[in-house]
Amino acid sequence: MTFTSFTFYLFLPVVYLIFYWTADRWRWLVLLVASYGFYASFKAPYLLIVLFMVTIISYVCGSRIGSHQDETGRKRWLQIGVVACVAILAFLKYLPFFETHTNTLFGLNITLSRTIISIGVSYFTFQAISYLADIYLEIEDPEKHFGHYALYMAFFPKLLQGPIERAGYLLPQLKQPYQFDYDAMRSGLLLFTWGLFKKVVVADRFALYADQVFNNVHSYTGLTLIIGTYAYAFQIFFDFSAYTDMARGVGRMFGINLTENFNSPYLATSIADFWRRWHISFSRWILDYIFKPLQLGWRDWGQTGTALALLVTFFVSGIWHGASWGFVIWGLLHGIYLAASTYYRPYQKKLHKMFGLEHSSWLKWWQVLVTFNLVSLAWIFFRAKSLGDAWYIVNNIAHTGFDYKLARSNGIAGFLNENLFLNISMYDFTVLVVVLPVIWLLNKRIFSVFSKPALARWLSYALLLAVIAVFMCQDKPAFVYFQF
Amino acid sequence: MTTLETLNQIFCMVFDDETIQIHPEMTANDVDGWDSLSHVNLITTIEAKFGMRFSQKELLKQRNVGNLIDDIERKLADN
Repeated sequence: MTFTSFTFYLFLPVVYLIFYWTADRWRWLVLLVASYGFYASFKAPYLLIVLFMVTIISYVCGSRIGSHQDETGRKRWLQIGVVACVAILAFLKYLPFFETHTNTLFGLNITLSRTIISIGVSYFTFQAISYLADIYLEIEDPEKHFGHYALYMAFFPKLLQGPIERAGYLLPQLKQPYQFDYDAMRSGLLLFTWGLFKKVVVADRFALYADQVFNNVHSYTGLTLIIGTYAYAFQIFFDFSAYTDMARGVGRMFGINLTENFNSPYLATSIADFWRRWHISFSRWILDYIFKPLQLGWRDWGQTGTALALLVTFFVSGIWHGASWGFVIWGLLHGIYLAASTYYRPYQKKLHKMFGLEHSSWLKWWQVLVTFNLVSLAWIFFRAKSLGDAWYIVNNIAHTGFDYKLARSNGIAGFLNENLFLNISMYDFTVLVVVLPVIWLLNKRIFSVFSKPALARWLSYALLLAVIAVFMCQDKPAFVYFQF
Repeated sequence: MTTLETLNQIFCMVFDDETIQIHPEMTANDVDGWDSLSHVNLITTIEAKFGMRFSQKELLKQRNVGNLIDDIERKLADN
């Protein structure tokens, strides 16, 4: 069951009604049972065991860290907890990788990994690690109530794909008494529906173009590869931000505010700015628990220490997405961009001044364009089916030669249809062209509808639902980030 | 010169801004240019000026200028 499946639309109101009619002191239990039920719908019982194991391990280790006064004991329990969580995550996530290599090495034919999915595991494992680290650093106290802690780990709106929430932010909210709040309910419903619109009307439509190119890279060159790359950049943004909107919308219905994960990331003016705007809960996590300890530990090496810490952090970020060279290169590229910027930044202002650009309004848009293209270049490695495909795209993306022979044989309309529109219908293209400016205008302002008169408000709701029903993409790929 | 005054001087020097007036509740959000890169410069300058060495845990726990002052004064008292 996912946010876009029919069963979820039965599950959600039923859970809400039970939650609403239950006394405050048992509401955590309703949400906990619902969250485990939601997870059980993926028909992989071992996932429930993994969730429970990570919950127990982090709860016990957290209590132990809190109960020890001496630094050695606290550190030991932190290490036990973190190693156990990472081992579980690594086992589930990298099983296919180890299996393939074991099969090749020993001539075996093990196929266990084909039946294993790890949906959600990365997210709650990261939460568990942040919980342990925060107790160790005395930023948080250990949670005493096991039920509340288990709900912090399993709360279903953020279980599959985040946001990765800190205990200090989410746990107090889960303990608050619930009171029906009309504004929270309607803003939650609107946010959820807005997310649904972004997913099924926009992201899934961009996926048509991205899939066509990335599944047949050797059939294309130049502009078509650029279109496919940009289409994927927009697909992954709309897909992931749609999921986050839906998760936050559901959270609000239960009186819980989940963290915003995106803040117009493609308007970032540098790669560092991009990471302050993209997958924010994840980037804060890697910043606080990987980058900072490394950077501060290597502070005697000055700028080199910072650059190395960035490289290692983003290498880990790549590996977190999966055991493939594509993800590793994607992570390393971001690491290299950021490491290089630590050396370039001191000269940046001087260069702008030298070329008289410091007051130019074009400078910001130039920086946005460069950042977007650097990010898109890295997405090629993230999305391509193999490293060979990714290299092919990088080597041929700048190919500008026009194939006259092909254009003549197909006719100009056929040629354009194949290379620009990728044989995807004009209808899908038109929907995207019309819908994108609407999103650009409304994405940050959807709640302004609440200040409009009742008739305009209800017409807007009806229009949004009608647009979803009529323009929903026929292809319905799963959310991109489920695989991580 | 008190710890606060010496620390204020270091802040002005690291962030190249003579107008900075530090206070215990001040965080990175309150100072222009206080990001993870300049934070390392700040820490290494403090360590050199006061002749001390922070542990990694102390550095990761610090949330504001007040925490930083507490750590400096505790270390000065220990010496």
